[in-house]
Formats: sequence, structure tokens, C-alpha cells
Amino acid sequence: MSSEAAWVPVALSASIEPGTSAGAVVEGAELVVWRDAKGVAHVWEDRCPHRGMRMSFGFVRGDHIACLYHGWSYDTAGQCRHIPAHPDLDVPKTIKIATYAVEEAGGVIWTRLATAAQAADPLPTMGTNLPVRSLYADCSAAHALAILKQTQLPVGKDETYPARLQVVTPHAWTLEAGALSLSIAVQVIGPQKIGLHILADEGSVDLIAALARWAQALRLALEAPVTVAEVA
Amino acid sequence: MSEITLYNHDLDENCYRVRLMLSFLGIAHEIVAIDMVPGHEEKGPAMRALNPLGSLPILKDGDLVLYGTQAILAHLSRAHNAAGVWLPLEPATFSRVMQWTFFSATALACAIEARRVAVFGTAGDLEALTREARQALRIMDDHMVLRHIEGFEWFAADTPTIADLSLLPSFALSRDYGIDHDEFPALRRWLRRFRILPGFRTMPGIPDYH
Repeated sequence: MSSEAAWVPVALSASIEPGTSAGAVVEGAELVVWRDAKGVAHVWEDRCPHRGMRMSFGFVRGDHIACLYHGWSYDTAGQCRHIPAHPDLDVPKTIKIATYAVEEAGGVIWTRLATAAQAADPLPTMGTNLPVRSLYADCSAAHALAILKQTQLPVGKDETYPARLQVVTPHAWTLEAGALSLSIAVQVIGPQKIGLHILADEGSVDLIAALARWAQALRLALEAPVTVAEVA
Repeated sequence: MSEITLYNHDLDENCYRVRLMLSFLGIAHEIVAIDMVPGHEEKGPAMRALNPLGSLPILKDGDLVLYGTQAILAHLSRAHNAAGVWLPLEPATFSRVMQWTFFSATALACAIEARRVAVFGTAGDLEALTREARQALRIMDDHMVLRHIEGFEWFAADTPTIADLSLLPSFALSRDYGIDHDEFPALRRWLRRFRILPGFRTMPGIPDYH
């Protein structure tokens, strides 16, 4: 479990293009991640106060996001500004969506599921910013750690090297193999579901495709049935 | 009287695939509405005379009667578009287009079936179908991750083809059968690019706004 002060990843920055939104779940909490036309990322509770529709199904216009159901439109503070069925209404201040702190660093969108008053942990620094991919797998974070301790990373053409794993924070892991530095921002979706947002150092641009294939194979390893011996 | 007639049901995603193709190519056509739900009209004797499988869509083009969604897409893209941009014939590209077009008819059959169970109440094991559909969507997302790294936005060529067209509705409509888009960032990116192609149109279940 993460403390509410912890920064948790919800997406690779590159996956949320300006003017778009997507859903993300952190330990069961449904979130909408969206980026306004100016390029600023936002993370909110994924629920329109009107009928409970997920805002991640909605659409971004400029610096507002609107609900797909009835077009209720919210500004970057989560405040409802416009209700199409009542265009002349001065929208009450109480119609507001819960918003969370957002930081973008190293190619990752991080959020903190805490109220503004709570002190924040420092953002994890991982020293990588080339996106490889986000990988979603049905397993626990602990299981992923155990598998990654034994992984081999591609370091050149048809060449792999055993990786050294380091846990920077519960949500930021790094892997090093030869000159390659890889980092993984770990999104715990549920007890048996994780999102791994994987990035590489800038010197490894020629390895990105090989690393994406490595990640694809990693998911097979993460989801392979666990043998009794391993459990014991 | 138009040369081309589509036997159609508005909520059927395979009919949507053909409507999309007709729209992208700007082909004039007539639509004959078939009472698929709840009437099962496509399984009646009149429709079985056109398609013995008793399924939609069916396309009539002059004397030619075609059934099978992917066959109809191939026909339209070659017979009604001189440049054939949706089905390029350069051998390696053609083969890749075929692979992914067939994927839509084979690996994604479970997704189409899952949506029928979820939306129309057809008999079937929704949980098993959805599990299988998720695997197929993962294969598609994995592919598009690599395509994007290689600098391409489409499944089989550097432009959209019938492979993209035949795969897309299963992802665009996946919320109908309980699979959200959260886990498929590369497919979200692809869907956004597909939506802005000239001639794109939606169907119920795919938002007009995005």
C-alpha cells in the first residue's frame, strides 16, 4: 500500500496527448488523466457529479473537459463552468470534481491522492526520459519485483545482460545492465493488477524497439502460473 | 436506383465496417434496413437466398452479391477506388494487410460475439469471451507500440488500410462489452488518428465527440 503522500504514476507523458483524456485506476480509485490544449496535465476523480459518468469518456476543449453524457464542462480547477441544458445558469460553486496534485517529471505523469494540505514526499528521480511503453499485467507489484530481480535486458543486437534492480521508492524502480539504464514507474491498479510505465536513458534510443519486445515477454513471465515451490 | 445496396442493421458492428468503407470512399449506395434485433430477419428465407449463412452485412453491387465483411471491404476498396489506397497491392504490404484483416475475422470474433451477448442479450459466456477479447486487444496494442517506435501510425502500411478499418470497431466499441481503453495507450493513439480521417463516421456506442 502507498501512503497518501506518495507520488504514484498514472501514465507516460507521451501517452496523454494535448486535448485528450484517459482513465487510470490507482489502488481501486478511478481517475481521469487529461491534458489541456496548452499541454498541462490534470488528474481528477473520474466521475461527473451530475450522473456519475466517467469523465475519462469525455472530451477536452481548450482548457476545459466536458462530460460525454450531457456536456457539463469543467475548468482546470475542477469547477463546473457550463451546463448546456441551462446555458444562462451561473453554475453553483458546489458543482466541482475532486482534483489531485500533478507533477510531470522524467516522461511520467505523477499524482498524489492526498489533500493539498498534506506534505508531499519528494518526486522520485530516475534519470531516464525516453518512453519505451506502458505495460499492464495481472499480478502483484511484489511478484513483479521478484521476476525483475532475475531479468536479462537487451543491451545490443541479440545481446542480453543480467540487470541490477534497485527500488528507489515503492513506485519507482530502476534496472541497469551495461550502459543501459531503465526505469519503471509502478502503478498499483489492484491487488493483482499493475501498470509498469517503462523508460530508458537517452543514450539507449536504438534499443527502444528491443526493450518494447522485452517488455512484451516480461508480461508473459509476470502472468505465468506460479509454481507451488515458488509460493513456498 | 443506385448500383450498390447494403443490407444493414445500424447497431451491428460488421455493418458499421462496411458503412465506414462506403463513407471513406464516397460511394453512393442504398441501404436496406434489416430487422436483425429482435426479428432475426437475416436468418429468414428471403435473406438466406442472398447469404446462406444468415448473417449481415450483405452487399449487392450490380449482379454481384457478396457476404463476409472482409470480402466486402476488399471488393469495395479495389472495385470502387482506382488508386486502391485501402488495399495496396505491393506484395509485402498486401500480405501484412491480409494478416491483420483476417485477425479481425478470427482473433476478434470473440470480441464481436462478446458485444452481441452484452448489447443484444444473445446467449454466450460473456466472461470467457471478454477474457479472450482482451488478449486479442493486447496483441494489437503490442503491435502498435512497435509500429509507433518504428515511426508508423497504422497497422500494416504507412497509410490506413482495410486492416485498420476492420480492426478498429472492436476497440472503439469495447466499452459495450466491458473492456475499458485504460490499458491500451497505443490503440487509443491509433483510434484518435483514425477518427480524424476524412469521411469517418460514428455508430451508436462510439461518441461523436472526442
